[in-house]
Amino acid sequence: MSESHDVDRLLVERIRSGDQAGWKDLIERYEGRLFAFVESRLQNRSQSEDIVQEAFIGFLTSLPNYDGKRPLEGYLFSICAYKLTDHLRREGRRPSVPLSSGGPSSGDWDVPDKRRPASSIVRSVERRRIEEEAVVQALQEQILYWRGRGDWAKIKCVELLIVRGWANKKVAEELDLSEQQVANFKFEFLAKMKTALKKQRLPEDVFPELYDEL
Amino acid sequence: MHDRPTDAELEAYLEESLPPEEMGAVEAALRADSELAARLKRIISKRDAGLHSLGDIWRRHRVSCPTREELGTWLLDSLGPEEEDYVRFHLEVVGCRLCKANLHDLKQKERESKREVTVRRQRVYQSSAGYLPGERRS
Repeated sequence: MSESHDVDRLLVERIRSGDQAGWKDLIERYEGRLFAFVESRLQNRSQSEDIVQEAFIGFLTSLPNYDGKRPLEGYLFSICAYKLTDHLRREGRRPSVPLSSGGPSSGDWDVPDKRRPASSIVRSVERRRIEEEAVVQALQEQILYWRGRGDWAKIKCVELLIVRGWANKKVAEELDLSEQQVANFKFEFLAKMKTALKKQRLPEDVFPELYDEL
Repeated sequence: MHDRPTDAELEAYLEESLPPEEMGAVEAALRADSELAARLKRIISKRDAGLHSLGDIWRRHRVSCPTREELGTWLLDSLGPEEEDYVRFHLEVVGCRLCKANLHDLKQKERESKREVTVRRQRVYQSSAGYLPGERRS
């Protein structure tokens, strides 16, 4: 557990007991980065300040549900992103995508994906949490391992494939690698993830992207 | 964003985690491209049904993000060359919005007047302190 996480944990404990100085400390610690996050999108100081204020209030009102194991920074950013999205929708800048009415494909959640039948879809929160914890652990171990070995090209490659979803060819061009190298890195990564998930006895079809073509 | 956004980028769009200029590009594309809107809708439906992807989890847990301390060291040009190069990649190519916000905040700390920051934080405090659980003054 990192030092920063320990500081956050203690801060949250103080805030839970109603400590006003603790609340000031948390604002001092996080307000600047949340403000930068919102302002980069809105380019408007006063609206950005309002949204950050709402996010802090949102944090306090959701505090009873906050799981201290989750990194505080990510939690605060996610509340802020929610408030920002809401603001953009109200302003008409962000199109809303209705789910259950209108268009021809409305309500169809039949995703054309033969590997994962729709009947198996509605998953429990607990199941999702177990899957997520297993994946996070496997990802962190893999990144740490590559960092330790100085395999930065592999980290970059997999990050573009998984986080940005880029195709092998585009990744190869960006990183000045051959497509074969990208395919090899991808194979290595997917094999390790599959092994890690198998160890946790998770069903193979939970993450169909592990079975994508190389 | 020159190409059509990938599914992973649409997921990031939903989380408000793409770089601002790409967020704007997706918004514009969604208004004009019904196929893209349908793809987004399918992604939302999957999420509502409790499915998640490796990319979701990677972003949410910030698996490859440099720490704030590393970002500070990067600003001082004091990381090793390979780490330095990776941080630049993460910021500029992946476009990690949360790391960029941290970096901006670190830079801003030196530029912004203390008074300006104090006033802003005081406002946040005043608007939120009433929501503290069972107030204990200290």
